[in-house]
Amino acid sequence: MTPELFPALITGAALFGIGIYGALSQTNLVMLLMGVELILAGAMVNLVAFWHHLHPDTPAGQMFVLIVMTVMAVEMAVGFGVAIARFRAIGSVEMEEAAELKG
Amino acid sequence: MISVQLFFISFFGLAAVWFAVVVFRTHSMMRSALALLFSQTALGAMFIGMQAEFLGVLQIMMMATEMSIMAIFMVMFMMDPGGLGKMDMTHQKRLSVIAGLVAFVAVVVVAVFADWGPLASSVPDAAQQIEDLGLELLGRSMLIFETAGLTILTAMIAATAVAVEPIKRNRD
Repeated sequence: MTPELFPALITGAALFGIGIYGALSQTNLVMLLMGVELILAGAMVNLVAFWHHLHPDTPAGQMFVLIVMTVMAVEMAVGFGVAIARFRAIGSVEMEEAAELKG
Repeated sequence: MISVQLFFISFFGLAAVWFAVVVFRTHSMMRSALALLFSQTALGAMFIGMQAEFLGVLQIMMMATEMSIMAIFMVMFMMDPGGLGKMDMTHQKRLSVIAGLVAFVAVVVVAVFADWGPLASSVPDAAQQIEDLGLELLGRSMLIFETAGLTILTAMIAATAVAVEPIKRNRD
């Protein structure tokens, strides 16, 4: 047990849980992307906390956070690309209407 | 000094969680995007509280841009971006709440019961951190860094290719 880590780790856990809820419960593609953003944000808090409290002399921890930020940007870019294509095709980004993609 | 630092980390952590909850509680899509922006900004402040100044500032700058773009997309795609109709845009609510709670409890159990090892005594100052990070990026982690750059380029091309309007060929 390391109480100094708790505020950051509990924050990360809460953001992860809320993100999972959002990603599973939202019917709108853009709202769903917000849930995924929160999941990644939870991971980032943990990484910074581990770097700060356990290995501050190792810059690889900060490097890892930069990679997660890259993943966030990539996820948003591709997600919005899909949203535009979907909106152009059927005029909506509601995911319940995307069931037809199953074929 | 440590207790002041812990107070600010906890305060911004609470703010980040509160605004994350607001994202899915409000009916207005614009307010959702702004709540996510505030949540991510609170996280950036938390990073600064944990003496990761560069990452904190980068987080705030990146998220401010990203969430502004998200808000524009909300206005473009939503029938009711202001949330005046109070329409419900959720499904499988019960399953989602249970999955979220299980994920939260599982991570908290690991956080509390894992042995994280000894705590570090001091953190390098901001200038030293930037120097170390720069050397890391252009040294041992260069391949990873380059791969991230290439991934962004690929994503930009892929997103543009998916989003662009298909050319309608006239066969007459």
